[in-house]
Amino acid sequence: MMSANISKRSFRPYTGEKARISRAYDYLILVLALFLFIGAFHLHFALTVGDWDFWVDWKDRQYWPLVTPLMGITFPAAVQYVMWNKFRLPMGATLCVAALLIGTWVTRIFAYHYWNYFPINMVLPATMLPGALVLDFILMLSNSLTITALFGGAAFALLFYPSNWPIFGMFHVPVEQGNGQVTVADLFGFQYIRTGMPEYLRIIERGTLRTYGQYATPLSAFASALLCTLMYTLWWYIGKWFSTVRYLNKI
Amino acid sequence: MKTILVKTLTAFCLIFSVYLINVQTAMAHGEKALEPFIRMRTIQWYDVHWSKQAFNVNEEISVSGKFHVAEDWPIGVPKPEASFLNISTPGPVLIRTERYLNGKPWTNSVALEPGGDYDFKVVLKGRMPGHYHIHPFFNLKDAGQVMGPGVWLDIAGNASDFSNQAKIINGEMIDMESFGFANGVLWHAFWGILATAWLLWWVRRPLFISRYRMLEAGMEDELITPQDKLIAKSAMVAVPVMVLAFNAMANNNLPNTIPLQASLDQILPLPAKVNAGIVNVDTLKAEYRVAERAMKFDLKIDNQSNAPLHIGEFSTANVYFLNKDLPVAHQDLSDSSTVSVEGMSLDNNDAIKPGEQRTLTMIVKDGLWESEKLDGLIRDADSRIGGLLFLYDLTGKRYISSITAAVIPKFN
Repeated sequence: MMSANISKRSFRPYTGEKARISRAYDYLILVLALFLFIGAFHLHFALTVGDWDFWVDWKDRQYWPLVTPLMGITFPAAVQYVMWNKFRLPMGATLCVAALLIGTWVTRIFAYHYWNYFPINMVLPATMLPGALVLDFILMLSNSLTITALFGGAAFALLFYPSNWPIFGMFHVPVEQGNGQVTVADLFGFQYIRTGMPEYLRIIERGTLRTYGQYATPLSAFASALLCTLMYTLWWYIGKWFSTVRYLNKI
Repeated sequence: MKTILVKTLTAFCLIFSVYLINVQTAMAHGEKALEPFIRMRTIQWYDVHWSKQAFNVNEEISVSGKFHVAEDWPIGVPKPEASFLNISTPGPVLIRTERYLNGKPWTNSVALEPGGDYDFKVVLKGRMPGHYHIHPFFNLKDAGQVMGPGVWLDIAGNASDFSNQAKIINGEMIDMESFGFANGVLWHAFWGILATAWLLWWVRRPLFISRYRMLEAGMEDELITPQDKLIAKSAMVAVPVMVLAFNAMANNNLPNTIPLQASLDQILPLPAKVNAGIVNVDTLKAEYRVAERAMKFDLKIDNQSNAPLHIGEFSTANVYFLNKDLPVAHQDLSDSSTVSVEGMSLDNNDAIKPGEQRTLTMIVKDGLWESEKLDGLIRDADSRIGGLLFLYDLTGKRYISSITAAVIPKFN
């Protein structure tokens, strides 16, 4: 019987061997999805957010909270579409971001620390898990693309900086260096030599996001929130266009 | 079939093992990759000296030297409005503890002035034991990396002995190697546990096929239970509240934080040391003879000093051509492997007298033009040469000119 033709009255849950095979299939897909998202999302993130996530001395008040959620909401939106619309599983965003963090931690430890000798504290990744959880909660409770894009997308961006400040705030303590003041993060950049990363390459604290005095972060966060609502919608539809359940229908 | 597979695998292993016999660590870092006209006519290094080339983990050494920023800066290369004196290392095997430009501490990037003279010093501290080929070099914004002369450094000891303490502004000492790491792991673990709990909450029940069938059967209400909704509602409030509370706690614990610092350091050039106006050198013509690996210069030299002078050395892109007949010492080139000791010849080696203007021919000839990939100049879009010409009086006093000219290739 084709799954797509099941009616509520004729529905019978799987039992016995069918149930066991169905469960094995669940785990198979989960493991494959985990590795797929670890690889694909991590690559996407490294290519788009890149240095802002790699280095502690790139995590500024302006571009880091603008760029990271904007690029970070992409895969979660697409995967949420599939997970929610096809399976009513409100865990797409959390799964994606957790996979990203696994990939990121593996890279930071093995590639940056053991292979290239950087101290891990210089390359600590940021977390987007609180935003991802809220994104999943809002989708589940609203069952609405519009509401999730507006409120979930905005929450994903707005929660990013405050959820990371407990991790990275201590790297913003001032240090006297060379008759001037720098942050501990800047000192990492100065001391731990990166041949391909001269100081001037950092895209930090530039531009005109200073309209409201020195409060650059809230401005960036709200700009990111606005853009995330649009980015969420775009990637939701990317998820819709590129996903299929045709194989499930043949079971 | 099995035999074929075994044979194929054996052949593959044998072939692969041939490569393994001669595996060597790559030591190059693209020092000859940049086009010759950029290496010759941007940063012109001289007098570069390492305080020590063999030292231990935790021991400090320094590299110091001078450079002239060429007046004939290539039109195709952006002006050095943001430049960073760096050290080419395979990762932070050394750390940079201090850096000075013209005696001033220098942390960020700096704008260099074409025609300007600078001296530098970088203090480094051994971190990872090993044998490394290291250069000072300039990162030039939008132009690339212009290498200074390289040396081999040997760092002995244990990496685990390395220590790097820094004093934050309240006087507290921190260990840069571990600062903030445990705290970071703690927060990642905290949010990771919450996320894992949420994922397990769903993964513990039948997932894809079962839920898809139920959804298609119109049993959506059974897929999300009231308990699920209650948890989601509670967590949707709790997560943002926790985020804001932890953020407020961090703010309270860290009342005196500052944003990342991104200023451009302002350091003026030294009084002129190169092209200082006492000895003026004009390059009338430059010709590269491909077959001979020789560059021929016609030079017009005006000696306005009060002493007779000899041409002692021509250097470009860290290649040094010496006049073996010079009666006084050259700059210390004991660290360098790119010295052509007898590479320079002059059609008139007599001293240039005070007040004399002389036109002479200088030929600098060596295989280094080819091995250092400088002969590619004739195929550059901007095939002009630049370099430093060193003239000495009998007391060893030195006059330096930055010379430049278009290069005419002679292929036969």
